[in-house]
Amino acid sequence: MVEYIVRRTLQMIVVFFIFLVSSYLLFNAIPGNAFSNLLLNPNLPPDAYQKVLETYGLDKPLFERVQLYVVNFFKGDFGYSYKYFPKTPIELIAERLPRTLMLFSVVNIVAFYTGFFIGKVLAWRRGSKSETWITITSVFSYTVFYPWFALMMLWFFGYKMGWFPIGKFLYPEKWYDAPFDSDVIFAMMIKFVLVVSLIQFAAYTVTRGIESLSSRRNIRFLSLIAIFIGSYFYWNTGEALSRKPYAADIAYHMILPVLVVTIVAFAGTALLTRTTMMEVLKEDYILTARAKGISQKRIRDRHAARTALLPVVTSFIFTIVTIIDGSVLTEQIFSWPGMGQLLLQAVLEEDIPVAMASFSFVGVFALLAHLIADISYSYLDPRIRVKSQG
Amino acid sequence: MSKDILIVDNLNMHYETLEGKVMAVNNVTFSVKEGESFGLVGESGCGKSSVAATLLQLQSDNAVISSGSIKLDNQELVGMTESDLRKVRWNDISIVFQGAMNAWNPVIKIGEQIREAIREHHPNNTKKENTDKISELFKIVGLDDSIMDRFPHELSGGMKQRAVIALALSCDPKIVIADEPTTALDVVIQDQILKEIKKVQELLGLSLIYISHDIAVIAEMTDNMAVMYAGSIVEKGPTASIFSNPKHAYTRLLLESTPSVVGEKKKLRALDGEPPSLINGLEGCAFSPRCPEPSDDCKSKKLDMSLIEIENGHWADQCCVNCG
Repeated sequence: MVEYIVRRTLQMIVVFFIFLVSSYLLFNAIPGNAFSNLLLNPNLPPDAYQKVLETYGLDKPLFERVQLYVVNFFKGDFGYSYKYFPKTPIELIAERLPRTLMLFSVVNIVAFYTGFFIGKVLAWRRGSKSETWITITSVFSYTVFYPWFALMMLWFFGYKMGWFPIGKFLYPEKWYDAPFDSDVIFAMMIKFVLVVSLIQFAAYTVTRGIESLSSRRNIRFLSLIAIFIGSYFYWNTGEALSRKPYAADIAYHMILPVLVVTIVAFAGTALLTRTTMMEVLKEDYILTARAKGISQKRIRDRHAARTALLPVVTSFIFTIVTIIDGSVLTEQIFSWPGMGQLLLQAVLEEDIPVAMASFSFVGVFALLAHLIADISYSYLDPRIRVKSQG
Repeated sequence: MSKDILIVDNLNMHYETLEGKVMAVNNVTFSVKEGESFGLVGESGCGKSSVAATLLQLQSDNAVISSGSIKLDNQELVGMTESDLRKVRWNDISIVFQGAMNAWNPVIKIGEQIREAIREHHPNNTKKENTDKISELFKIVGLDDSIMDRFPHELSGGMKQRAVIALALSCDPKIVIADEPTTALDVVIQDQILKEIKKVQELLGLSLIYISHDIAVIAEMTDNMAVMYAGSIVEKGPTASIFSNPKHAYTRLLLESTPSVVGEKKKLRALDGEPPSLINGLEGCAFSPRCPEPSDDCKSKKLDMSLIEIENGHWADQCCVNCG
């Protein structure tokens, strides 16, 4: 396994290098001199301009520029934003990334679980009236033109009903005298979600070893209650208490985007789960499981859904890959100032260092996700477990 | 005289399909005694496996039991609720399916799959008790304990089939159905598995229903047997009696189509024609279109096809008794 990961990592570095060079060449192919943006920036003193010019070789021929860029890149130097001069691309990304991650990790978790659950129930109730209607609805939400749908939802829930805010990720007037930045709150919320899911995962893993099914269930239930009580205390004591209104503000702004993207995203998972699981349900081992006298729910979850999981997880991981580039549309519609907007603005305004850094980030993310997908296969399906040879 | 553990009485089952009712099991009556091994033989599509599925009430959704009863140890299985059936399945009656290759879930370890069955019926067992039980079963069927931590794809076909037998025995059932357990295996392994089943049956005093299309295997494995044709039992009785004195034309043809290693060399006879379609049922003698010496009576639609006893415990259907 270790050998496999090392080999894959080396491959990834090569792929990433090619990715980086070709992105740079593509940006270079944009007509006009992008570098003039830097010249027009009023924040830039003339001597600094000269310095930047020399450091990044911006007046050199293309070949030397690429060389210099790649070398600097692997040194961790991404240059300066042309638009927001004293800031570096990394600073900009560090500011925007938590917002996107928060929004889309919630969306993905919710979409995956609802999609998987609905899919397995659909396959299980094949032929019933409810199955037909839910399948038709899923196909609709899977194929609907997403920007139109998002705008409709925004119009209905935001404008017509007035239940949710129409844009932005917070009410600026609320944050006017806030003693901290929104990033602090985002980091805190992400940490909270992470800890909760880790506890849940740990509880699940530990209880797998318990023989009695009823005590297994009870312990899992207790851990859920413990999480609820724990989070109640967490948000009502000390530092978290003073930050609670701000976190609530962000959460409130998140509801509508999460809802809209989930409705669109869950359907793919649900339909895929339904199809694969219907295949699995025909298998002989499902009959064996029934003959063993195992409960219907357990056959559905443990035997059928578990075996049908592999293609679903594959497609899910590839969805994660598109979080950042996929967020362009969503963030634009909901005016959510995250990575997607940063990427779009950087490209439109030819802020090449920022655009390059954002794209590289997307690239690294995609490569890592593929590696994780391949590793997780071996846990999901023992038949394709990689043998560590030698 | 040991008592009857399983009594199937006048069982009728059909499948509802778009083309009509497929009468898969017609008026099937037989009983299995404690510790007895009972054979069910017939060609493909004659309803053997439908009988097996019905015994566990595992028939597919479009199957309807129109009449009859299945009594397992004085417990009526027909019409029982799903939750009650779950307690009976595996605990009282278990099955070895045809094709052990596909009987195991590919992503769960063998040990865990057996453990799961035991856990369902003995929820208070400790982990150690269950492990000991599985290891004891593995010893009986000749498997190593390390198999418990293997995945199904890591086992050979014969090992999987042995493990399936261990699985079938895991809850100490009163009766085990073996539904063509050796179909997917090569001849050498088939022989080993058959010996294994026979050994286990004698060791544990199990009641066994052995289903096969291979009449030679039935001869080796069973005390009593029934021959099925087109969803009905056409002849039943002690295996020895049926082999020495087959009454039904179909049984005779089945016996003549099997080569014998000892005795004079005879030309094997093949049975012409196809088994009849069971859609919307049959009237009269189902075998008459293929019967080598049919009388005019056989083709009459009003024929009474119930079984009559010819000699002690040996039954055959009236049509062929009259003909022969």
